[in-house]
Amino acid sequence: MSKWIRWQGVIAFAVVVLLVAGVWFLVVDRVIKRAIEKTGTLLVGAKVELGEADLSLFPLGLTLSRLQVTNPDQPMTNAVEIARIAFSMDSLNLLRRKAIIEEATVDGVRLNTPRTTSGAIPDRPAKSEPVSKKAVGDLFSLPSFSATDVQEILSKEELRSQKLVESLRTDLQAEQEQWQKKLAALPDKAKLESYRKRLEGLKSAGKGGLSGIVGGASEAVAVQQDLSRDLDQIKTAKKDFEDSVTGLRKRMDEAVRAPQDDARHLMEKYSLSGSGLGNVTGMLVGGTIGDWTATSLRWYAKLQPVLHRQAERKKDVEVVKPVRGKGVDVRFKERAPLPDFLIRSTRVSVEVPAGAIQGQVKNITPDQPILGAPLAFEFAGEKLKGVQSLKLDGTLNRVDPARPTDRANLRVRGYRVEDLSLSKSEQWALALKQAIADTDLQATLKGEALNANLAASLQSVQMVSGVKAGAGVLANAVASALSDVKGFKLEAEVSGTVDQYDVKLTSDLDRVLKDVVGKQLQAQTARLEAQLQSAIAEKVAGPLNELKGSLGGLDGIGTELASRLNLGTDLLKAGKGGAPGGLKLPF
Amino acid sequence: MLRMIANLLKVLNSEAEPGQISLALCFSMIAGLTPFWSLHNLLVVLLVLFLRVNLSAFLLGLAVFTGLAFLLDPLFHVIGLAVLTAEPLEGLWTALYNSTLWRLERFNNSIVMGSLLCSLLFFVPLYYGANHAILQYREHVMKWILQTRVMQAFMASRLYSLYQSVSGWGWGGGA
Repeated sequence: MSKWIRWQGVIAFAVVVLLVAGVWFLVVDRVIKRAIEKTGTLLVGAKVELGEADLSLFPLGLTLSRLQVTNPDQPMTNAVEIARIAFSMDSLNLLRRKAIIEEATVDGVRLNTPRTTSGAIPDRPAKSEPVSKKAVGDLFSLPSFSATDVQEILSKEELRSQKLVESLRTDLQAEQEQWQKKLAALPDKAKLESYRKRLEGLKSAGKGGLSGIVGGASEAVAVQQDLSRDLDQIKTAKKDFEDSVTGLRKRMDEAVRAPQDDARHLMEKYSLSGSGLGNVTGMLVGGTIGDWTATSLRWYAKLQPVLHRQAERKKDVEVVKPVRGKGVDVRFKERAPLPDFLIRSTRVSVEVPAGAIQGQVKNITPDQPILGAPLAFEFAGEKLKGVQSLKLDGTLNRVDPARPTDRANLRVRGYRVEDLSLSKSEQWALALKQAIADTDLQATLKGEALNANLAASLQSVQMVSGVKAGAGVLANAVASALSDVKGFKLEAEVSGTVDQYDVKLTSDLDRVLKDVVGKQLQAQTARLEAQLQSAIAEKVAGPLNELKGSLGGLDGIGTELASRLNLGTDLLKAGKGGAPGGLKLPF
Repeated sequence: MLRMIANLLKVLNSEAEPGQISLALCFSMIAGLTPFWSLHNLLVVLLVLFLRVNLSAFLLGLAVFTGLAFLLDPLFHVIGLAVLTAEPLEGLWTALYNSTLWRLERFNNSIVMGSLLCSLLFFVPLYYGANHAILQYREHVMKWILQTRVMQAFMASRLYSLYQSVSGWGWGGGA
């Protein structure tokens, strides 16, 4: 037995295990720090740095100090900086590879803090940002509607009238060629004249006795059949031709009307709205709201791996890709199912320049279907500097992965807006010097369908604008009207999908502006419309006249078809005059 | 590399029982082919130290099988996944999944399962195969090699001096 047993090996084993455990305990903090930084950087797309990680064994818990998450779009700024994160873990569940945290504390959350070094990562893939289909108002500028503007508009736009004329020209040419070929294939006058000769031949055959009469009658029937067949061909062709010409004429009428439609369409697009300054609000705040929406959606996309883990069903079990490591983990039914990772409750303290906002986030897990409850968050701040009250709550629901639904509600009261730049236009700078805003926002994302409504009421408004000389009468009028505005309401609706959404903005500011600058607008609008109509008409006039000529050229084909039909019909009538020998022909 | 070859020759030429060398190779196959930081490898290390197996052979085998595991991981993944998702075994896996010890073992990972299954399957064949090979080597090859001119030249080389330098290690004979 002693040949196979080495008792001192047990001591060696104990030494080895203790040594490994000792080394592990010495390096574990650094391993955790590195793992958080590496995974975080991968998820965010910019550097995530951690000051220190401290693992305690009794009780089992972890404290993270100074976590910095770089804003991927501004590498010299941290999107979030957290002073301290602390939590204790359920050690028994950890042995079962389940990180269950009953309560975590996140203290000193600060947003947009400056960095001393750049947080950009060198091999960051090109960012794909959600694209707003109808991004509103990049810069606020009022067109002066000069002749140059009209030419500029026409050079940028694709005119429908031009397209119509071009397609009509192609089709007309094709029709002409096609009908010339058809005409050549149809029985011509020479062939029709040959029937006349055959009929005259029958009359002379009738004088050759009974056999001549009988032979002539059968020949007459043959002539009638041939002639009728040819006439049918001509009739059908003539009808087809008339249908084609009618269609072409309709299109020609449409092409003639198209320049006016184009002018109207361009007016709606480029003027300060034909329906009355309807897009001023869009131009004023659309860019800002568009930016907010894009930023929110970008960060929301980064949250996805935390909310839901990639998994697929294989037979009756679920195959889950672990975040790190090789192979795949296969999940089986558990007697008391628990997610692999769960923070039941997180108390968060956010420090913003206005003061401290307290909040709570519940049920942070990538396995919501197992937990059966969505992630819920609630933040509130009272009597902050420049904000009377603020409340944000919502849920991120992945309990049914096939029907994800996320909701967020934001309610802000008494928010003091100061020096908010609305237009960075060189010609016309516009800023909201001060205002008190009450805002309500409801946002829902059901699957891919995004819907958000923002209602804001601004009081004690003071706007300042700097209109440069030469900005135009309209710009001066709008600037003057805006300086008199003391309050307005604003509603924004974002709808579509995360990748493709529209922002619609309405405000009673539009009505105010319409009343004030209506006359100037009308005059400018009328001038622009006239200029556009004239310019478009000039562009398409030549091709249209050519088309009219070409369409006239088709008349010759019609006349030829009518002439052949008449000749054939006359012959048929002449044939009905009588068969040889005075017998009545059967047609 | 030279040291490794010297070690191999030292082990084969030592007075150690063939069974001690073969068992060491078998344990190294488990530890080398499966992810090293797995619970079962704690047991393997305990057995290697507790049983009088040849430690040089174990360490040598561990290096070789770990290298081999990099190549075989895709195969282990396929085998492991097939076994874990086999319907007749679902009851067994479900029972193990609900046990803390087995969850710690991480048996439900495709590579852990595939590699552990393969190494256990080849454990006995490798033991007897290696035993037989060592005996054959000692009876026929070693004697013949020692008499060849190449070996004579080798014995005068640096490699042989290396071999001799490690021959004094106490672990080789399993003592």
